[in-house]
Formats: sequence, structure tokens, C-alpha cells
Amino acid sequence: MLALLIGNLYYQTQAIQTSLQQKNQIQAQEEISFALEENIINLTSNLLELAEWDEIRQQIEDPSYYYYWHEDRLKGSPYFKKHYSQLEIYDANKWLLMPYITDNNSETNLPLQITSEEPTVIFSPKNEAFLHLFEPVFEPDSKTILGYIGLSVALHQNLLTEHEFSFVNPDSIRFTGTNPVPLSELESHLQFEPITNSVSNDLWQLINNFTTYVIILLIISTILIIIIFQILFSGPMETLSNYVQQLKKQPKEAAKITQERFLIREFEELKHSIHDYHRDLQTTQNALKTQYKIVWEQARRDALTNIYNRRAFDEAWNELVATFEYNPSNITFILFDCDFFKALNDTYGHEIGDDVIRITAKTIQDSLPSEFPVYRIGGDEFAIILAGVARHEAFDIAKKCLKALKSYNFSGIGIKEKLAFSVGISHLDYQSSKNLRNDLLNLPRQADIAMYKAKQAHQHKIQCYKTELEQESLSLVSNQVINTIVDAIHTGKYISMHLQGIHSVTDGTLYYESLIRVQKEGLYIYPSDIFSVVERRRLEVEMDTQIIQQMLNAFKEELIPQHTGVSINISGKTLLQPQFVDLFQPFLPYLKDYKIVIEIIENTLIDHMEYAKTVLNTLRAQGFLIALDDFGSGYSSIRYLAHMPVDIIKFDMSMTLALDADEKTKNIIIATAKMVRNSGYDLVLEGVETEAMFKKAKQAGATHVQGYLFGKPKSIPSFHETK
Amino acid sequence: MQPSISFILKCLSISLLCASIPAQAVTVAQKIPSLSLTAEANYMLGEEDKPAVLILHGFLTTNQFHTITSIANFLHSEGFSTLAPTLTLNISQRRNLLRCNSLHTHTLERDTMEIDYWIQWLQAQGHEKIVLIGHSSGSLNLLEYLATKKPENVISSTIFTSLFYLNGEELGIIPDEVESARMLLKNRINKPGSYHFLFCNDQYYATPQSFLSYLKLDRAYTTQALNTIKTPSYTIIGGADKRLHKVGREWLNELESTPTNLIIIEGANHFFSNEYEFDIQDTILHILTPPLTEP
Repeated sequence: MLALLIGNLYYQTQAIQTSLQQKNQIQAQEEISFALEENIINLTSNLLELAEWDEIRQQIEDPSYYYYWHEDRLKGSPYFKKHYSQLEIYDANKWLLMPYITDNNSETNLPLQITSEEPTVIFSPKNEAFLHLFEPVFEPDSKTILGYIGLSVALHQNLLTEHEFSFVNPDSIRFTGTNPVPLSELESHLQFEPITNSVSNDLWQLINNFTTYVIILLIISTILIIIIFQILFSGPMETLSNYVQQLKKQPKEAAKITQERFLIREFEELKHSIHDYHRDLQTTQNALKTQYKIVWEQARRDALTNIYNRRAFDEAWNELVATFEYNPSNITFILFDCDFFKALNDTYGHEIGDDVIRITAKTIQDSLPSEFPVYRIGGDEFAIILAGVARHEAFDIAKKCLKALKSYNFSGIGIKEKLAFSVGISHLDYQSSKNLRNDLLNLPRQADIAMYKAKQAHQHKIQCYKTELEQESLSLVSNQVINTIVDAIHTGKYISMHLQGIHSVTDGTLYYESLIRVQKEGLYIYPSDIFSVVERRRLEVEMDTQIIQQMLNAFKEELIPQHTGVSINISGKTLLQPQFVDLFQPFLPYLKDYKIVIEIIENTLIDHMEYAKTVLNTLRAQGFLIALDDFGSGYSSIRYLAHMPVDIIKFDMSMTLALDADEKTKNIIIATAKMVRNSGYDLVLEGVETEAMFKKAKQAGATHVQGYLFGKPKSIPSFHETK
Repeated sequence: MQPSISFILKCLSISLLCASIPAQAVTVAQKIPSLSLTAEANYMLGEEDKPAVLILHGFLTTNQFHTITSIANFLHSEGFSTLAPTLTLNISQRRNLLRCNSLHTHTLERDTMEIDYWIQWLQAQGHEKIVLIGHSSGSLNLLEYLATKKPENVISSTIFTSLFYLNGEELGIIPDEVESARMLLKNRINKPGSYHFLFCNDQYYATPQSFLSYLKLDRAYTTQALNTIKTPSYTIIGGADKRLHKVGREWLNELESTPTNLIIIEGANHFFSNEYEFDIQDTILHILTPPLTEP
């Protein structure tokens, strides 16, 4: 751009100079034309004046002394100009008065006789030009011509003498020609050059120099600017950019701040700011990591015992399952369970029961090798996963833990009885396994079976799984039923969801509790068998997921009666799944037309209150209702009642039937119902089978009732057929 | 010399023309056969009963010289007819004054012939009485005319103003130059040369003949001529004329010793310039106007 500007400037100045030169030429032409014209006029005027001069007539009339007069008087008179080459007088016949005065050998001299009175220009071999003018001398006051005056003027000298040229270079004036030419053609024989305008030339030189200096200055300035820009801006920006890139590539590393100092304060500040921000970010990230770890830990820690909870166990187990194929090893699954813990809780209270759980957890953890954590997977159930340990070593570890438990003095916390613990162990020898994955997946179930056996035993409280044990545990349920149930849960086939109405006592509205039934051809499987298998096979999450899907399909197929709703039972395990909230997102569109309730049992809520609050409040915010099932069947205390993230409390059948019990019991139930209502919850009384019971339920403050009085559970399609 | 018939007819025609025209200055051009020159004069016709006045200019000047024109206009306003010729000085119809370094070929004699012609011309116009007034060398020209032509019956009176003489060392004449001119002339070499003459100093460019012709008018000749002429004359000299310093105030005495009536106008210079213009006019008028005689 700069080069263009300079080039344009140079071009413009060139154009100006050319224009000036042309103008000079024109002005010079005009000047010299004017000079010639003026000279001719002056010469003609002088000639006229001469013609009127008395002494001219004197000489014409008496040329006796013409020579003397010509040489002495004429040439000394003011009439004879210094640029006159010749001035002669001619008689009336146009002959020179004194021919012998003239040097007739010169071609430029006035002629002896005037042949033409027209002004003529004569050229000398030296390229001098002489103008010959002739003027008649008249008798005063008469037209009688007495004679003529002939004048020869050296034009070059005449021009130079009579004019000061401003535009024409006097030294350049040249007359070129050979033959005489009329005066009118003089200019065509005139050569000249305009004055080299020294001012213009100097100016042009000045401009040239200026342009050169400007170019040099601009180049230097550009270089300096580039250097300065590089030092002040580009360099620092590059350094900062590299620094930021370094931070980006290694965000987790504390990047060393560049020691380069920037001249511009803002860049220096930016450098420090980036470094400080990054440092602070890292600090924050580290803090977040730490916090995350804490939260992560807390999410995976059992609040009561501070050992790993069910969530942590599931993650550890899932990871083991996922990676076992690539890193197989001997796996031992150990389950610990406190015998008759519910009774102990009921007897000594929840606080003692909590202490027992804490002591149990600590004792087991202290007895384990440090690399193996213990997990609390249930109320009084603990699990241990031993990897890379031989069977007998695992058994010894279990024995050590059990011994520690047995030897602990629980009387210190007020327990008079001797506590008993059952231990179930299942082991996978990976080298002898034919199906590693299946064998691994069976370990929890097998340990559970072994523990079940241990519970039944009085002395041998550590039982290792054997295939014979499995036959014993499943003796009440046939293989066909088991397979059907398992198949139904995994595939959704044979599942027939039933609905039983929950009726509003006040406005007559209605929603339904969803209940799972499995039916395959003629085989009808009841909930007790279903739950038994589910519990034994630990398929709670799978079953709940299947039930949720079944209910969603029902909504999609518009099988749910309009202006009603459904409640879905959820196990504690399912509640604790990370994707629990996501399971219910597909129901969101139906919330505006249906009441959708999620039922959870009391113990699940109490055992994981904080987590449950977060999850359940998320769902409640979206429009779902939460119902606490079997209120009073667990060990929750009154203090939780005000903070439970639920909308509905359900009294199970036993509490409903208690309204018919003795006065004391009935009052307790009524008081509890009132307390529930006063806490702002809806109250559902299950098991209402008679009108009398219904009446009592209403009196007790129930907002909803459920029971055979209002109908038995029916399959969903039957509702649609009814419509 | 007797004028030719054609000459007379021309004069008459011009006279008639002048008579029919209201009185204004008329330039009269006359070819003087004897001189082969044409001379010009300014003529203003006045009252019949008053004389005509011929007013002649001084050295190298013309009838346009201020002294001449003021006298002519004044006299004409007083009713006098005036004629102010310009001596040709050998240049036909000379209208410009000659320079010192102009080529002078004129002679005193030719000047006298020219004056004579104009006198005759006036007479031809019917002027019976003619008064002559000269200024400076014009006075000398008139004196020479009177001395040589002796026109007593024609000229009633003459007034010489600023009358001096031309030849004298006190006037700058170099005797050697005179002698040299005489030698040239004697040897018939009439080659012009530069001479000391009057105010021209050494710039007077003249033929020896021309130069020497005027040297006739020296002091003695002048006084002698004044004594000789019969015409009543008056000589008016400016008291502050610088030439008096050159010639000496004795010149006045010498003039007084002649028959001319010497009148000194004190304070006036050679040209009677400025306020002295009126003095000389009054003096001339006084001279020209006879006193009233008692019945």
C-alpha cells in the first residue's frame, strides 16, 4: 500500500513536471511570439518616428553631407538604436542615397535598391537573422514620398536587447534559414528552448530527493515498526500463545511461567494473569478432584459404617466382570450376615442395631488384608471380593473375620446375647473354569446360597458353596419356573403387568399400582415365586427395569385409562443405580395427563437418605410423585419423617388391620396416620377388603385406600378391553 | 528678387483663405525658390489698423518656443497680426529644434533670405506696417536682415530681445577652431566638424561654412549694425540674463550708445520666463501702442 502511495506520488510529480514543461514551452512560445510582435511594432514605430525626423528630410533634400551626417549625427542620435545593424536613407526612387557606404558584399546588408517594401528576414551563413524594414518618408502634410528609410535589425540582438525573457532561454534562441523569407514566416524559422526553470528543476530535484528520502525513511520506519511490533506485540503474543498451547497440551501439569519480560505492561499482566489463572484453575481442579474424590468416596461410603457401600460394591463387581476376561485370576466371594439382626434391632433399638453394624464392619475390615475392602451391601449384609487368592487362603480370611466377630464383646454396647454371624463363600478357580464369565457371574448367587446354608447351621457358620447346596435352595421352586422368571425378566416375554386401583377417599380419583405377573402358556407364576427367584438371583435391578419398560409400553399403547395414573415399585438396588433418573425420563410426556408414582420401601430410603433425597427430589421436580411403601415395616425413626423426599406414605396391610386391633394399637396407628397427614403426606392404606375397614380407614385419615374391596389386580389389556 | 505670378497667386489665395477664416493660428508653408526649401510659419491675422508683427525665434529653436508663442499670442490678443516663422536651417518644413550635434549646413545669409521672403509675404498679405521682433539669435538674424536688406520703408520698427553677439572668446569661441574652419573652407573642404559655439560648447556639428557664417556677428559688428540701421529699434534685455555675465554689463552701455532704445527688465532671464513674460509683453505692447494724442 505504501509502495503504491509512493509510486503514485512519484508518478504525480512526474506528471506535474511534464505539465510544467509543457506549460513552460507554451509560455515560452507565447513569450517569444509576443516579443517578436512587440519588437516589430517598436521597430515600425521607431521607423515612423525616424521618417518624421526633420534631419531625414534634410538629408533626402540635400545629401551633400549624408556620409558625415550618417556616421556622426545619425549613429549618435537617439533615433539609432544599438541593435540596429543598418539604417540607410533611400531616395524617392528607392535607391540608396549613398551606395558606397554599404558593403555590398554582405548578403545581409540592406539592398542598394528597394525591390519590395515588405518586411523581409535575411539569414546569414552563421544563422543570424536580419530583419529588413522600409518606411517611406513623406513630405509634411502630404502624401508625396520624398524617400525611404531602410532599417536592418539583427533580430537576435534585437530580441535580447529589447526583452527580458522569463520563459525563453535567451541563449537558445536560434534563427535557421537560407533564403529570405517574409516576416510572417519568421516564427517557423525560429528555434528556442524554454528556460530551464531552476526553481522547477530544483523543486523537482527536491521532490525526487524527498521521494527518495521518504522511501528510505518508510523502509527504515517499516523495518523499525516491524522490529518494534515484533518486540512489543508479535513476540509476546507468540510467546503467550505457545504458553497457552503448552498449558492446553498439558493441562494437568503446572506449567512454568516464561521468564521473558514483555515491554508492554498489558502483555506482562496478561502473562501473569494466564499463569495465575492456570495455577488457580489447577488449584481449583485439584480441589475439585479432591472434592470429587471426597464426594465419590462419600457416595461410595456407607454413612453408618464408613466402609464401601452397595454402590461401590456394584462398581467394583462390574469392573471385575468387565476386565476378568483379560486378567483372570482366582476370585472368592464372601458374604457376611448378622443372624437375626431384625430381631436385635427390634429388641435393642435402632441405635444399638447401628452400633452392631458399625462394629461388624470395622471388625471385618480390620481382619481383612489391607488390599481387600469390605462392602456393606444390605442392612446387615457385608460382601468381600478376594482376587488372586487361593481357596484355602480365602477360607482362612473368612475364618479370621468370623473369629474376630465372635470374639468381640458386644456386651459393651448393651447386648446381652451372643451375636451370631453367617458367612457364605463362593470361589472361582480360573484355571479350571470352562466358562469364566458365567462362573464369575454365579459367584454372588453361590455365596448367597452358601450363606443361606450357614444361617441354617448352628455350628458351621462358614459355608462354602457346593452344587448340592444349590439344589437344596431351589427345592421349592422348579427349574421351569426359575427359567421362565429369569427369561421373563431378561426379555420381557411372559410378563403380564397387572394394575390394582388406589382410590382417593376425597375426590374419587384413582390411580393404579403396577404389579408384575409372569405367565407362560398355562403356567401362572405368582409374585412370591417371582421375588424369591429375583432375590436369589439378585435380579432386582433387571426386574425393575423390565417393569418400567412394560409400563412405558402401556403408556405408549394408550392402555392406561385416562385421567388416572400408575405407581411403579422400585427396589433399593435400582434406586441406587447411577442411571436411575434416566429410567423415568421417557415418562415425562405423560406426566401432564397421568399421575405417575414411584414406590420405594422404607429401608431403602433410610439407608441411603442423602442420595435418595437427591435422586427422588430430581424426579419430584420433574412431576413424579414418590410413595414410601410399607411405612413402619422398617427401622426408620420419627426424625426422618419430616425430611423424607416423598409425597405419599403407604401403610401396609398389617397396619391397616391394626385398626381393628386393641384400642392401644389402634390409637397408635391412628396417631401415626395423623402424624403422617399433618406432615403433609398423602396416606394410602393397603389391604382394605371390607366396608367397615374402609370406614375405619377414612376415620384414620387415609387419603387413599387400596384393597380387594375395590378390586383385585387385573392385567392392563383388560382395562383397555373394558373401555 | 521679384516674386513670380504663381507665387503671388498662391499668396493671394492663402490670404483670402486666411481672411475668410476666423482669426486662428494658421501654419503657412511656403516654398522658397531661392533656397529650394519649404518654410513654415504660424500666422494669426489681427486688426487691419494694426501692424503685423513678425516674431523670430532664437538659436536652433522653432516658432513653438515658449517665448515666441507667448509674445505672438499676446500680441494677437491685442489685435495685432502675427507671423512666427521657423527658420528652415536648411531643412524644409523644419518642425523640430535642431540639436547641437545636428548637422548644421545653414548660413546666416540663407537665414536672411528666408526672413526677407517672409517680409514680402506679409506685404503680399496686405500688411503695410510690419514690426519685427526677434529673440536672442533671432534678434541677430533680424539685425543682419535690416543691415543688409535695408527695408526702411517696410519695417516700421524692430524690437530686439536678448540681443547679444555670437562671436567672442568670452562666449566660448575657440580662435583655433575658427582658424581651422577658415583653413578648411579656404581649401574647399566643407567637411562638417564639431566646434565650440554658444551653449553647444564643443558639440556644435557644422560645416565650416555654416560655422563661420555666424561668426560675422561679433560684438563690433553688432553695435555697428545697430548704428547703421535706420529702422527705429528697441532692445529689451533681461537684467538677470546670464549672458550678461559672459559679455559683461558694458554691453548694455554699448547698446545704449547706439540708437536703439534699451529697455532693461530687471530680474528677467534670457528667455523672460515666468512672471517676466508679462513684463516683456507689456513692454512690447507699450512699444507698439503709440500714446494717445490730445486733440
